[in-house]
Amino acid sequence: MQRVARIFSSFTFRLAVVYTLIFGLSVGGLFYFVFWATAGFAEQQMEAAIEAEVVTFQESLARAGVQGLIMAVNRRADPNTNRDGVYLLVDRAGAPLAGNMRVWPQRGVTDDIWINFSTSDNRGATPATADVRALQLMDPESGVRLLVGRDVRAARVFRERLRDSLNVGLAITVALGLLGGFIFSRTIMGRVESITRTCRSIMSGDLSKRVPVSRRNDELSRLSVSINSMLDQIERLMRGMQQVSESVAHDLRTPLTRLRSRLENSLRHVDDPTQRSAIEGALEDADSLLATFAALLRVARAEAGTQRNFVDIDLHTLAEEVADLYGPLAEEKGLGFVTRFEQGLFVKGDPNLLAQAFANLIDNAIKYTDNGAVTVVLTRQKGQPTVIVCDTGPGIPDEYKDKVLERLFRLEQSRTSPGSGLGLALVAAVAKSHGLELKLEDNVPGLKVLLRFPLGVVSQDPKLLGAAPAKSLPAPEKDRDGAEAAAA
Amino acid sequence: MIGLSQPESELAASDNRAKRTDGPMRVLVIEDDREAAEFLTKGLRESGYIVDHAADGREGLFLALSEPYDVMVVDRMLPGPDGLSIVESVRKSNIATPVLFLSALGEVEDRVAGLKAGGDDYLAKPFAFSELLARLEALLRRTGTPPENTQLKVGDLEMDLLARKVIRQGKRVYLHPREFRLLEYLMRHAGQVVTRTMLLENVWEYHFDPQTNVIDVHISRLRQKIDKPFDKPILHTVRGAGYKLEPAA
Repeated sequence: MQRVARIFSSFTFRLAVVYTLIFGLSVGGLFYFVFWATAGFAEQQMEAAIEAEVVTFQESLARAGVQGLIMAVNRRADPNTNRDGVYLLVDRAGAPLAGNMRVWPQRGVTDDIWINFSTSDNRGATPATADVRALQLMDPESGVRLLVGRDVRAARVFRERLRDSLNVGLAITVALGLLGGFIFSRTIMGRVESITRTCRSIMSGDLSKRVPVSRRNDELSRLSVSINSMLDQIERLMRGMQQVSESVAHDLRTPLTRLRSRLENSLRHVDDPTQRSAIEGALEDADSLLATFAALLRVARAEAGTQRNFVDIDLHTLAEEVADLYGPLAEEKGLGFVTRFEQGLFVKGDPNLLAQAFANLIDNAIKYTDNGAVTVVLTRQKGQPTVIVCDTGPGIPDEYKDKVLERLFRLEQSRTSPGSGLGLALVAAVAKSHGLELKLEDNVPGLKVLLRFPLGVVSQDPKLLGAAPAKSLPAPEKDRDGAEAAAA
Repeated sequence: MIGLSQPESELAASDNRAKRTDGPMRVLVIEDDREAAEFLTKGLRESGYIVDHAADGREGLFLALSEPYDVMVVDRMLPGPDGLSIVESVRKSNIATPVLFLSALGEVEDRVAGLKAGGDDYLAKPFAFSELLARLEALLRRTGTPPENTQLKVGDLEMDLLARKVIRQGKRVYLHPREFRLLEYLMRHAGQVVTRTMLLENVWEYHFDPQTNVIDVHISRLRQKIDKPFDKPILHTVRGAGYKLEPAA
């Protein structure tokens, strides 16, 4: 049903409908012309026949007088030879002299010499009644009047038949057009849809997918080929970038690590306090560089993250634990720390990455708020589990709301404060790999960050209700200690 | 540090941490990167360890199986058998020597794989040498840990795990659950340097770098309760490394 509805809303179907409409209009116009020409031609032919007959009667009148005309009319009105002719010859007083009618028609539309009327006064003719179109004329010399007509009912039936069949033809044309459009768009849509599906799975991280190419060398398969070669290039670029960033990170990290070890080693042999503090400062710098590299690598990994490590997570536990870690930090800074966590929200995800994303959001909120409060809410919005982190800090201007999610981007006013500019980038990367909707809004004053889980990842396993561990690591320290001790 | 008596924990002075009453500790370093290995062995020797170094998996496995070590530091990626298979073989031979994995792979699943193979701790490269030392120390002490003890005691500080009670100098100290876990971890590792990362990993079970040093805040809150009301501090900051719970001399 949904599929049918999709076809109706598809572009190709709308195209087909418009095409059918235009085609139907032109076919209608053509049919109208055919109708007009055919029906008119039959009428003209009939009138010509009547006029020709009148001419013969006039000739009879001229040759043999009224008697001759009477004979001629009676001959023509003989039902054995003529079936749809209507004839009447009357004298000056109106008394019938010849023909298959008895009374001169009283009613009927008269336009100069042509007259249309209905009559049942039709002796001898097979149809007892007739709709007649006739020519009337009068001989001024003898005073006789002559009426020569034809029953037009046959012509009218023909006309109606013609009209009906043309209408049916038009209806069939439109119906076939719509059906064709439906089939056409279904076919096209199927192929376009497969391209869309592939593109979507590529966007969600599976770079190895390719659009299927049909053997026909048509536009769509050529489009597929183009998309595929574009994908090849993207994949190459991505691989290249990954390799570059990995080798850069490695090549830079290795010497940095050595630098760090050297400093650490030398610290052990130095007693002079000035030298010591210089080395300690250098160590701190090396550490912050290493931390930035580590964060960059983590963002890259989170972004490229696969969903194979996903487990069921109780968001309530996860949020409680992160809040538990950061709450004291807010209180230390003199900020209010308000948490409102709804129970029973389960999702699938990587607990470590999600915890880190929450932690970064709360950490940011605390870092950029000088007074007021940080509010963390876990709730359900439109049925979707949603994490909201609000602060009363300076907020982020609208034009930078997208930018702050990029790597290493920092607002001018926050350049002086500590941080790598990777906190929100990591949140964005985690959101991407988990299919979450990440929204930055104004909290007036402050910033409000929403992380909304897709409905699809919500797990509703009743077994999970209750205490679900949010961590993936198997054993807490205490238990490992015990096991170790028992083994020893 | 469960149930260690007071004089012994006082012996664990910070300068020669590896030296204990029964002589220097033997450590095996299996690391193929020459320079990294050099720094490791040099640093460990200066810290009082007796160090053997193996530059590839084959030699490392041979040494691990034939010599008695107190602790092993094993790189995960090695020529020859890799770190995981070395540790698996060692465990199959019923050698329970604690193992610290070193790896450039810091992902949680790599960590889990390392622990599953029989490793006891996992340290992602690059690391601070002080972090490595602290973790080695923690591993060495663990082998000497008596079976699960519900009473911990460090100097005048006592913890009852069953009653969830903390007492210092006979006075009850009230702690939040998380503060309790934090103190428990510190008490179990009394006399050793415990790094912030170790606390984050073991008390909170998080394996990421919190941008701000939240651990310091938790420590300072704990200090408010266990140190401030008393005359002598027991929870010390070790510069550039972490924290140490040690009774005042």
